[in-house]
Amino acid sequence: MSSKVLSTSANISSAESVENVILSARNISKSFPGPVIALDRVSLDLYAGEILALLGENGSGKSTFVKILYGIYTPDHGEILMKTGRILERVTINSPADAMSKGILMVSQVPQLISKLTVAENMALTLTSLRIHGVKSLTSIKKILKIISEESEKIGIKIDPNEKVYNLTYTQKQLVEILRAMIVNAKILLLDEALTYLPLLERRKLYQALLKLKEQGGSIVIITHKISEAMEISNRIAVLRAGKIVGVVNTWETTIDQVRVMMFGEERSKQISYVKVQTINPRGEPRIIIRNLHVEDDYGREIVRGVNLTIHAGEVVGIAGISGNGQRELLESIVGLRKIKSGDIYVDNVNVKRSGVKNIRELGVSFIPDRLLEHGISPEESIVENIAACTVRNGINIPWGLIEEISRELINSYQIIAPSTKTPVKYLSGGNILKTIVAREIENAKKALIACNPTRTLDEVSAIYVRRRIREKAVNENLAVLIASEDLDEVLMVSDIIYVMNTGRLYGPLTPEAPCEDIEKLMVM
Amino acid sequence: MRFIVLRRKTIPRYHTWISTAISLILGILVYLFITILVGRSPLEVLVNIARSFISPSIVKDFFVLIAMGCALLISFKAALWNIGGEGQFYIATIPGILLTLFIFNPRHNPAPAPLVILLVALTGTIMGAFWAFIAALFRAYLKIDEVPVTLILNYVAYYILNYLIFGPFKGRYVYGYLRTDEIPEIYRLNVRVHLPMRGDPLQVALQNLTVQLAYYIALLVLAVLIYVFTWWFFKHCRIGLYTKIHGSNPSYLQAVGVSVNHIILLTMTISGALIGLTGSIYLLSELGRIPYEIERQTAGYGYLAILVSWLSLLDLKMIPFSAYIVSALRNAGIALQVAGLGGVEQSLLLIGAILLTYSITRFLVEYEVRFEW
Ligand SMILES: Nc1ncnc2c1ncn2[C@@H]1O[C@H](COP(=O)(O)OP(=O)(O)OP(=O)(O)O)[C@@H](O)[C@H]1O
Ligand SMILES: [Mg+2]
Repeated sequence: MSSKVLSTSANISSAESVENVILSARNISKSFPGPVIALDRVSLDLYAGEILALLGENGSGKSTFVKILYGIYTPDHGEILMKTGRILERVTINSPADAMSKGILMVSQVPQLISKLTVAENMALTLTSLRIHGVKSLTSIKKILKIISEESEKIGIKIDPNEKVYNLTYTQKQLVEILRAMIVNAKILLLDEALTYLPLLERRKLYQALLKLKEQGGSIVIITHKISEAMEISNRIAVLRAGKIVGVVNTWETTIDQVRVMMFGEERSKQISYVKVQTINPRGEPRIIIRNLHVEDDYGREIVRGVNLTIHAGEVVGIAGISGNGQRELLESIVGLRKIKSGDIYVDNVNVKRSGVKNIRELGVSFIPDRLLEHGISPEESIVENIAACTVRNGINIPWGLIEEISRELINSYQIIAPSTKTPVKYLSGGNILKTIVAREIENAKKALIACNPTRTLDEVSAIYVRRRIREKAVNENLAVLIASEDLDEVLMVSDIIYVMNTGRLYGPLTPEAPCEDIEKLMVM
Repeated sequence: MRFIVLRRKTIPRYHTWISTAISLILGILVYLFITILVGRSPLEVLVNIARSFISPSIVKDFFVLIAMGCALLISFKAALWNIGGEGQFYIATIPGILLTLFIFNPRHNPAPAPLVILLVALTGTIMGAFWAFIAALFRAYLKIDEVPVTLILNYVAYYILNYLIFGPFKGRYVYGYLRTDEIPEIYRLNVRVHLPMRGDPLQVALQNLTVQLAYYIALLVLAVLIYVFTWWFFKHCRIGLYTKIHGSNPSYLQAVGVSVNHIILLTMTISGALIGLTGSIYLLSELGRIPYEIERQTAGYGYLAILVSWLSLLDLKMIPFSAYIVSALRNAGIALQVAGLGGVEQSLLLIGAILLTYSITRFLVEYEVRFEW
């Protein structure tokens, strides 16, 4: 996709002399109660002027590693050395504030900005606490505005610094975070799946910015499950597996297949195939019918503007499009989570416009939400409790035996990595949290599955398994499936029919055989 | 100069235990300091406090506080801050008075005691539930915070009782006092045991304890029942699971199709019901009558139970421990008063001092405070 931009950069070899090391992690181990050994004697050097891709399957310890560098976790063993002047010195990083003052910044998948403040105020907080750019107090807001506009111009992103953060889209929030890293002149930038769902255009701009940071001698660690992306942008690739480093290679010396074998092993990497799962499905009766639907977003703006759509039993309808074009609101209104302004929704010929989530769910409709940590799971509660809350609908006592059994089956079939079924969900890795939600919803679905980005944080093997299961369920159990995904490849892979959603309207239908360019054109027009 | 407040990354579990212990000790020290300031002997005060921890006289408070601590725990787990225990407790005594002194007064309309007692418990439960339900309605449908509403309802309950005692409930055999009549003996729940109270101090203490336990046997049974109910509620009951989830992520309830408003109503109502039940049993086994200006006479269980629930860190296992500590402290306050070391304010001062140090240590456990120049 973005190979044009980056083909030149990947060939610049990283100078591997010790001279160039700016951070060295040595024998880092970290375990969690469970017991889980998240990291097992991990040693890794970061060089000045490089982009390092840190890869590994879900739960392999990637986030834990960067969280240690960012001072969120303290390692059990091992040490971190950083370049000061010309020598490497041992450092302890006690907190993110500490990390920032050492020039280390992290951007994760979940934006860490304070929603009630404006962009500039958020920036001011960082700048005053770091006391850089001569910003000493929150009153130097003028100065901050100037810095923001200068910096964002340089990278080519448009952000209104006076906007409250809660008004920003996900993409914009991520851009602000990355902008912040640029403004504080981060020496080491840790991107934990931060770019995954940025639209192509923004992603390209950011790649440029990252290259600039790299040229200035910065070091960037990118965590991603998109291996092709890693191949394009990185100089080196480090692979973690079950908490151990299994290899560090120069990107230009390796191939995508070799990387996959390192990540998953010979056996499992063979399962990776992006060929469309061919299935002959007889199209059944119309299961979900949407007529002239209008829906407002959280701020009262009309975001779904007259959608008409029919989903038949046994078919997978894919909605492609850049996030923020109304996909989330459309799906939320189908399952009853969001009020409908006007229009009608029928499930099996029942008008569910005012039915509410409970009744719609009882009709056999499952839902994989966009806001996972809000609508998908209760992080404080355990895996079994989360599953029970969603599946047990009557009776006073919860049949724990049965729920245990269901949970264990889901854990096995979706290969969820968790110490036990009683582990609070918040202790799982990002991908494993998503897997718990996805497994539960797919296997629970009786009539329909409404899914938003169902594989967004999954590793390739898991993502492929999930897509295959969705297709199997559609075909074998006559499920009607609606998937909105910002990953065009995913939409192409799973769908029988494709629509593109743009500024609240659906365009299509298109077939999966339609040329990619046509679909992309509809996405950005 | 500036303050920087940072949330700590990880809090080891034992920290919370230690901080609880430290806050207890510090609270007592603060209290001692104050008593020294007003010129009393700290040693005498300390001896009194220590003695109350092994005094059999705390059993009553201990049972009541276990019951009420559990009841509040249920609402607190849902992040519903029911501080209206007082109101729910006392409003529940109204039907008890009505049933035992008026409707089924043995003088003119005797009824089988077990039936009346059961009715008292049942109607008390309903009254307590209703009182909490009002606050829940405000919270669920008008989005009005339950803290001020439950608090105000405490006073409404006091005033309703005062009004009743002044008027329709005014006793006839009260020797000029303003209070209700005494609840007839047949409806009371106490078992009186007579022991010689002789032997070495330990034997006497044990005999004393036996007498107390027998006398408050109803409260003991109640505490056990409510404790077991609470355990079952969170461990096995579907609503209990929703209650917990409401406390951590209500959006998830919404997304699985559980009405958040219904859970607010249910949780608060259950919490109020258990407190109402406690109130009515307390009426039959301890109060026996209700005096005028109830707000000046109350033992403050509704507020003490908040302390019990907090000290337990919302952990059911810890409720008996914190109930024990709080009842010992309350009795220490009373003992100090009796020993002429201060007035009614002693127990309040002591408990207040501990709450203060507790809040501070809790904060310091969760946050790190730095100064910078
Ligand atoms: N705070 C925690 N408490 C307990 N266990 C944890 C905690 N954080 C992570 N773990 C465990 O450590 C392991 C590694 O988790 P980590 O988040 O580093 O994985 P990851 O490689 O980032 O995976 P993903 O691709 O799914 O994001 C997992 O098994 C996870 O369950
Ligand atoms: Mg991760």
